[in-house]
Amino acid sequence: MTLTRRRFLTGTAAVAATALGAGACSSPTTANPGRITLWYGTNSVSEKLLAEAVERFPAQKLTPSKVSGELNQRLLAALSGEAYLPDITLIGDGISTYFSATDRFADLNALGARQDEPRYLPWKWQAGRSPDGFQLGFPIDIGPAALYYRADLFGEAGLPTDPRAVSSALSTWDDYFEFAERVKDKLPGRYLITDTKMVFTYSLAQEKQKYLDRQNRYLADQSQVRRAWDRAVKAFQMGLTAGYAGSASGEGVDRLAAWNNGKEVSFVNASWITGSLKQSAPGTSGKWRVCGAPGGSGNQGGSFLAITKYCPDPQGAYEIVKWLLSPENQAAAYQELGLFPSSPAAFDDPRALAPEEFFGGQVTMEVFAEIASGVQAVYFSPYDISISDTYTDELTNVESAGKDPDQAWEDAQTAVERLLRRQGVLA
Amino acid sequence: MNRRYLPQYLAIAPFFVLFAVFGVYPVLYSLWLSLQRWNGVSEMKFVGLENFRFLLTDTAFWNSIGNTLIIWVMSTIPMLILSMLVALGLNSAVRYKGALRIAYFLPNVTSIVAMSLVFGSFFSNEFGVLNWFLGLVGVDPVQWLSDPWAIRVAISLMIIWRWTGYNAIILLAGLQALPNDVFEAAKLDGAGPAQTFFRVTLPLLRPVLLFSVVMSAIGGLQIFTESQILLGNRGGPEGAGMTMVLYFYNTAFADNDFGYGAAIAWGIFVVVVLFSILNWRLVQRPPKLRSQLKGAGE
Repeated sequence: MTLTRRRFLTGTAAVAATALGAGACSSPTTANPGRITLWYGTNSVSEKLLAEAVERFPAQKLTPSKVSGELNQRLLAALSGEAYLPDITLIGDGISTYFSATDRFADLNALGARQDEPRYLPWKWQAGRSPDGFQLGFPIDIGPAALYYRADLFGEAGLPTDPRAVSSALSTWDDYFEFAERVKDKLPGRYLITDTKMVFTYSLAQEKQKYLDRQNRYLADQSQVRRAWDRAVKAFQMGLTAGYAGSASGEGVDRLAAWNNGKEVSFVNASWITGSLKQSAPGTSGKWRVCGAPGGSGNQGGSFLAITKYCPDPQGAYEIVKWLLSPENQAAAYQELGLFPSSPAAFDDPRALAPEEFFGGQVTMEVFAEIASGVQAVYFSPYDISISDTYTDELTNVESAGKDPDQAWEDAQTAVERLLRRQGVLA
Repeated sequence: MNRRYLPQYLAIAPFFVLFAVFGVYPVLYSLWLSLQRWNGVSEMKFVGLENFRFLLTDTAFWNSIGNTLIIWVMSTIPMLILSMLVALGLNSAVRYKGALRIAYFLPNVTSIVAMSLVFGSFFSNEFGVLNWFLGLVGVDPVQWLSDPWAIRVAISLMIIWRWTGYNAIILLAGLQALPNDVFEAAKLDGAGPAQTFFRVTLPLLRPVLLFSVVMSAIGGLQIFTESQILLGNRGGPEGAGMTMVLYFYNTAFADNDFGYGAAIAWGIFVVVVLFSILNWRLVQRPPKLRSQLKGAGE
């Protein structure tokens, strides 16, 4: 048979049509049918442990799959298409978004989670549970917030340098501001407070409530928000904030430089920043210490693993999750990636209690463990990130663009109300 | 339909099938989505035109239109002048023609994310290369990433850097296609270099220039990555770097508000249509006006 143009065209078109037709009817519900697919992101789950889990659970045929970029977006897309879904997936601190769609997930309580619950921090365990008691997430890590400070510079300014002494001298935000003012006079051009956003975020993280209650109703009493706002504005008006510009993640070039050259003398942040600090300012090794944050214990960030209802073997999947996130393995993951354990049993693991050279031989786990145990259960609503961003945007306007704080507060209120009305939270 | 043509129809079908699946369907679906309240995972709730009602009174959206237009003007005008100069230079270059053209085109094919990271360090307030350089020549440092106007300038500079070479190559192609005899005639009539440029070269290049303007308008209305990498999803202080597309992205994919995101996308569509009409009017000057202009010139 000779190849004529017509035959070629007919053939190509037929092949294309078949391919399209076949593609349309056979997209699998889960990403790898017959296997258990686990979606995770960069530095969110230990890859060493995942590799070990693949060996350990041969029957489940575990297939870890690293999702680069926004895992949440990909999960939403797979859920709305009901195709190429993971069997087990990572979910971040915005887990409450999925509480309105628990029918797409497996209730971990039905798989034996109740027995494992006591081994994990109660407030974190509760954060993975919907208001009607559906256990959606199994806790991976948490983000206890501490004060990071340069002991050498504190000494130079004539302030206490020992973590216990520092934390008792800085028990409230006002103490912290007063402290910062003293350093400002002794060491001009150096700052103890990163920016207004830091004060606002971590001050609010210490409160019993944020913006909404567990039924997603806007709280009538928003005084905790106002308190955090006023503190942030006060720090700025006293001239204590450095206000580094640039990248929204708070790790722009200027801030990294400030870590290296000692312009940033201290800051409050969740434990997950340790990795960046070590990596970006290796020259300051041995000079940093951590202690309890001013104002009390707070948490910022932390993730979960969840099992989708499309998983053909939920019990097998649960065994994998349970093993991956066991207290022993959490201690290993803390050592490897700095994922702070959500199980108090891991706090006493010898690997976690090793003195850290970067922190001058301090056992930072002792500090973080104490903070983690003091955190209160706070509801993190699906709208919390957007609302917080609205407030911190306005604080940045005050800090960088010279906006009047009262006007900024009014504008933030209006924007938050509009946001919630659009989402149907407010009538 | 004659069966004889079936293979031909089948041969062109892949495009139409793909266009229907990835073009028409998403467009229609986004229209449907703009009438819903949807966070991407729970049940959709029909809200009618409420999203559009919000959009009309949304200062952040109007602000983003303003930013987009400001950044577009601040980048396009200097860029066209620069690329004209580069094109003229390349046109009269004697040696290393090929290498120079590649060098000017290179920014356009550089990964935009890598480039934005480099510019992040370049514009950094305290340790940026640009401020260091300004310091050398005795100029006070500029708060590139925190002052609202400096932010817009910084984004414009990135766009200029990226697109000057591209437009220079296009203008160069236009220059090389111009007939030589007109220039000879101009020379014989005693026109100087400036006169030749403004009276002969520019008018003859008009179609090419219009192409460049239209292309940069298309690109300018879609400014997104530069802002996002430099300042994050929220557009920096006073939302100075918040462009229309970034606002859409932030609403749909960071706030998980897909219904309102779709409404913003349609708002952008309307702005683009208005712009296209404006462009069209500029390109297709009515004949009456043209003859009037001619009359006035004589």
